[in-house]
Amino acid sequence: MSSLPAPDVSAVPADTMRGRSDLRRLLILAIAALLLITIGPAVLPTYLINNLIRAFLYASVALTVDVLWGYTGILTFGQSAFFGIGAYAAGLIFTHAGFSPANAALALAAGIAVSALVAVLVGWLAFYHGASPLYASVVTLVLPIVVAQILYSGGNFTGSSSGLSGFDSFDVSLEAWFRIAGTYLVLLTAVAWLFVRSDAGRVLVAIRENEPRCEYLGLNVSRIKILLLTACAVIAAIAGYAFASVQMVVAPEYAGFVFGTELVIWVALGGRGTLIGPVVGTLLIDVSTAYLSGNLPFVWKLIVGLAFVVVIVALPQGLAPLVMRMFRGGPKLPAGETLSLQPASEEPLAVLAAAGRHAIAVAGVRKHFGSLQVLEGIDFQADHGELLSLVGPNGAGKTTLMRCIGDGAERSAGTIQVNDADIDRKPPYECVALGVGRKFQNANTFETLTVAESLRIARTRLRKPSLWARAASLELPDAALRVIQATGLDQKAAVQVRHLPHGQKQALELAMVLALEPSVLLLDEPTAGLTKAERTLIGQILVELTAQHRLCILLVEHDLDFVREISSRVIVLHQGRIVLDGTVAEVVESELVRTIYAGGPGMGAAQR
Amino acid sequence: MAQVFDVITTAAILYAVAAGLLIVFGVMKIINFAHGGFLTVGGYSALLVTQLGLNPWWSPAFAFAIGFLCGMIIERLVVRPLYARPLDAILATWGLGIILGQLITLAFGREVQFVRSPVSGAIDLLGASYSQYRLILVIAAVAVALALGLLLNGTRLGLQTRAVIMNESLARGLGINSGLVRLLTFSLGSALASLAGALITPLSSVDPNMGVPWLVNAFMLVLVSGVSQLSLGLACLVLGGAQVLVSTYANPVLGGLTIVVLAAVLLRLRPQGFARE
Amino acid sequence: MQRRLAILSARTAVLAACLGSPFVAAEDVIKIGIPVGLSGANSVVAPSVVQSAELAVDEINAKGGILGKKVVLEVADDGSGAAGAQKAFDSLIFQKKVDVLITMETSAARNAGLPIVTRGKTPFIYTSFYEGRSCNRYMYVNAWVPDQQVAPIVDYFMKKDKAKTFFLIGSDYAFGRGMLEFTAKYIKSKGGTVLGEEYLPMDGSDWTAIIGKLKAAKPDALITSTAGGAPNVTLTKQLRAAGVNIPYGNLAVDEGTAKSMGTDAEGIFISASYFTNIDSAKNKEFLAAMQKKFGANLKTPNDLSVPEYEAVYAYKMAVEKVGSTAADKVIPALAGVAVEGPRGTIKMNKQRHAPLTMYLAQVQKDGSVKVLDTFKDVDPGDQCPNLK
Repeated sequence: MSSLPAPDVSAVPADTMRGRSDLRRLLILAIAALLLITIGPAVLPTYLINNLIRAFLYASVALTVDVLWGYTGILTFGQSAFFGIGAYAAGLIFTHAGFSPANAALALAAGIAVSALVAVLVGWLAFYHGASPLYASVVTLVLPIVVAQILYSGGNFTGSSSGLSGFDSFDVSLEAWFRIAGTYLVLLTAVAWLFVRSDAGRVLVAIRENEPRCEYLGLNVSRIKILLLTACAVIAAIAGYAFASVQMVVAPEYAGFVFGTELVIWVALGGRGTLIGPVVGTLLIDVSTAYLSGNLPFVWKLIVGLAFVVVIVALPQGLAPLVMRMFRGGPKLPAGETLSLQPASEEPLAVLAAAGRHAIAVAGVRKHFGSLQVLEGIDFQADHGELLSLVGPNGAGKTTLMRCIGDGAERSAGTIQVNDADIDRKPPYECVALGVGRKFQNANTFETLTVAESLRIARTRLRKPSLWARAASLELPDAALRVIQATGLDQKAAVQVRHLPHGQKQALELAMVLALEPSVLLLDEPTAGLTKAERTLIGQILVELTAQHRLCILLVEHDLDFVREISSRVIVLHQGRIVLDGTVAEVVESELVRTIYAGGPGMGAAQR
Repeated sequence: MAQVFDVITTAAILYAVAAGLLIVFGVMKIINFAHGGFLTVGGYSALLVTQLGLNPWWSPAFAFAIGFLCGMIIERLVVRPLYARPLDAILATWGLGIILGQLITLAFGREVQFVRSPVSGAIDLLGASYSQYRLILVIAAVAVALALGLLLNGTRLGLQTRAVIMNESLARGLGINSGLVRLLTFSLGSALASLAGALITPLSSVDPNMGVPWLVNAFMLVLVSGVSQLSLGLACLVLGGAQVLVSTYANPVLGGLTIVVLAAVLLRLRPQGFARE
Repeated sequence: MQRRLAILSARTAVLAACLGSPFVAAEDVIKIGIPVGLSGANSVVAPSVVQSAELAVDEINAKGGILGKKVVLEVADDGSGAAGAQKAFDSLIFQKKVDVLITMETSAARNAGLPIVTRGKTPFIYTSFYEGRSCNRYMYVNAWVPDQQVAPIVDYFMKKDKAKTFFLIGSDYAFGRGMLEFTAKYIKSKGGTVLGEEYLPMDGSDWTAIIGKLKAAKPDALITSTAGGAPNVTLTKQLRAAGVNIPYGNLAVDEGTAKSMGTDAEGIFISASYFTNIDSAKNKEFLAAMQKKFGANLKTPNDLSVPEYEAVYAYKMAVEKVGSTAADKVIPALAGVAVEGPRGTIKMNKQRHAPLTMYLAQVQKDGSVKVLDTFKDVDPGDQCPNLK
């Protein structure tokens, strides 16, 4: 078999200009906003200034809700709790210890520390591996309730229902507070904007789109979420601290879940996942409420409630995109994205093979669902350079076995070792660290990300993404590059994955898994839905991977011709047990196999 | 002894409030955040009965009917489009709760109002003098549980509902009209919430936001019970009992937190909660 | 890029234009702001407060207004709590630009509003009974404080019912705690014992655990001090449902709320500075005028609403005395005016508070109130020694 031509690295030029023009746009907007904020207090009436200070701080918190929910998919009602913690840190210290620069610093530090601690605790509770999104939302709902109740139970210390008031605060004019709060909001928005558009920000979207895929790309999703929550908690706490300092009143309502839910409403109405939408939405709604709710109190709240329900049901993206579209005259196409692909340096697996390790060692593995036994007594070993196919009728347990190798928590009993390391009960992302790469049965990718972004995500485990910029180039291992080039994906770097034909999606997923530089590759029906030509190509690549790159490939496949052509070894599963483990020839000749496949076109049928 | 009654009556009240949410969650796999709004509807139905000068014993039935009607309307308009988006369903139903609250406020005014209790005073039972009405609520809760159980296990509609709970696509494949099941289930859930609202208002008051504190407790209880009435009863007893104990021996405010915190922790340690598998 | 900038500027400009414009020249009216609990715990009594103010304003306008200018009321809902009060005070002082605030509200709301009053330099007459010792350069109080109200009830229980042990229940905020703190001290100073002191948050409505503790402690008498309307009713209902019938003194209930409790209220002791059956010409005149103006919609005038009526007149007298609504002139003047109101002669000349005639009464089976004893001109004590 001839090997594929070496990849032509210079094919795609890097575009560094695009990144710079984005930054320039951001800078201009930010400066314009800051200018408005500076002159604002001189032209606006006092009542509006009061309201806007509050609205600016609320918008800062709404921003964090958007990053958590709109971008990362974590529906959180709990940001109000962190706001309240920051506010009460100020209130408590200024009331009981008086106001002084030292106390002010202490209060700020306390607010930040406590909110960060609580965030870590909540994150541990809500984001554990396997937690459902509903449970996570429930925990974020419980948090503000708990915080508010703790405040209520504090008697004279926290002021209980009255809250705390009348404490001294910074000797700063209202106008100055306006500028401070406004600047905080502008800076925060700018930083958030940079962050969500950066490579690290794309990881958040990937998590929202397809969390399991992220886990199987080696990303410790729990830790990412906890870190994100902590950062958002601190931001909200600072806003709360400022709020208490301006208003000189703190009350449990500011930490409660009604406020937390209002934040979600503002984000939903403004447009989740757009950053600017929630900020402007919050400002508009909060200020409008202040003016209109006096005159038509219930009707206004009813209107907001109705708008909210309508938006959720019919316009999940919120009102911002609609407004944007009206101004722009049509949906905007995503900016052309180009990424230059470079070969990466990789650890030669031949070294691993030479050390005499088994790539996979499975011993005594069992799996049952309730009383249903799916796998029983599975024992086998596989070495580097082997292309091992798993075959068997439907329901034999093939995919289950794959799952057990990719996720330490899956199996009910037995041991599995990858490269001589026991996977124990390790979650998928840790198995990836041991060298496992798993490609799923259906093309399991990130629908709204582009090809380039998807590949970038795949490399995240090995190359930390930038927190504020987009890299102009991306390194990929040889194998991944081959797949990309051979299937024409390199010409489609800027295309969203959902617009790709099925075959290319499969290829992309394979490339993403290869980008992990795995030593063990688990492929679940990689040829499903592929044309003959595509199948041949994939076959060539797989053989090359084992022959030249010394991968160990475990393959589940129904296309028995495919299996016969490329495998070095075949394992036959039937009703959860291994019934045959041998070379292609042995399996093909076997009577047992024919019996199992009786009636259908068997592996050796054409030859008999 | 009075404390034992406290535990039992608290559990009964919680059960009555949560039962409606349970069947909606079981069949439709969404948490109906408008449940609090329906509680309020029930409270105001009872208020209407008082204002019209009718016998307060009519309140529960009246509330049930109104709740059922409202539930039907809402299921068609709001819940149906959101079957595939459970998190969005939480938000939309929360928005609904707000709308219900505002409509009630527009109709009745936002003051706190009061409903006449059908019975008043305490009776002596097993050596303790205890509130009659609270004891009656225990009977009411048991009646609700039995009626629900009978409905689910003894009727064809109940059988179909249980099928849909277990596996909706399979049920549809077998010819069960799951759309109808969902409509009836949601309406029943709303009616039960309304009924519970009417049952609890004689103990306190009626105001446009009365449902909200109950909502969170109710859905934590439902999450912890899976889909079984029995586990719900168990959860109400255990968690409700914990609430009473904490309220009495520590602090009534922290007592209010008990259910919510214990449920969250329990779910973390055992995601099925009180349910069997 | 430029479009976005245009959008942003356009939005801000529109916002500023719509909302910043009403800058008409100084109007020829005098505005009285009333931030009050239209929703929340105080919602039961708020309507009566607004009615009192409306009657006072009607009467004043009929006689030519204040300094020839018409008097106008601006009412805002403070939600009976701190967060709502901030919005209400802010809106009244900075948006509606009222000349004075005259209102009754929960202590939570009052405490939250005071910093805004200070910032806005607006005179504020607080017409609600409260826990005492709230002092602000701009505030006057014409309702009672515990130093005036608690003694009659405790003395009566100790003398008449020979009560030695007491149980205290309250709402957990400044008022509830302040009142019961004073009460506990007073009880101890008279040789009694306090067996228990329990609180629920202001919006709490489930008194089950607390009632359980009350019954277990078996005190001789019960004294409660909850927030205004709703908590009073829920507590009383649940107490009666649980069969509690010991002497029950309620420091925080007014006549109207007691009426709405129905038969559950029978036997409750109240100590207040106003009852509808006060036998004075001014009171009868006041009640007749209220009846005439509001007819079937009349909310029973009570100890929380009548001071509002008198306070509006106090403001009128002070403004007319100094000939202007300027805060720095009106505020010292308020200490010197004496209002002849339904409660008698009210002068806020004791450290911003007023000596008042107090009545001890008991609620009867038909909801009416029977006065048992009268105490004339009770001194409010040392409320704000640091304010001139």
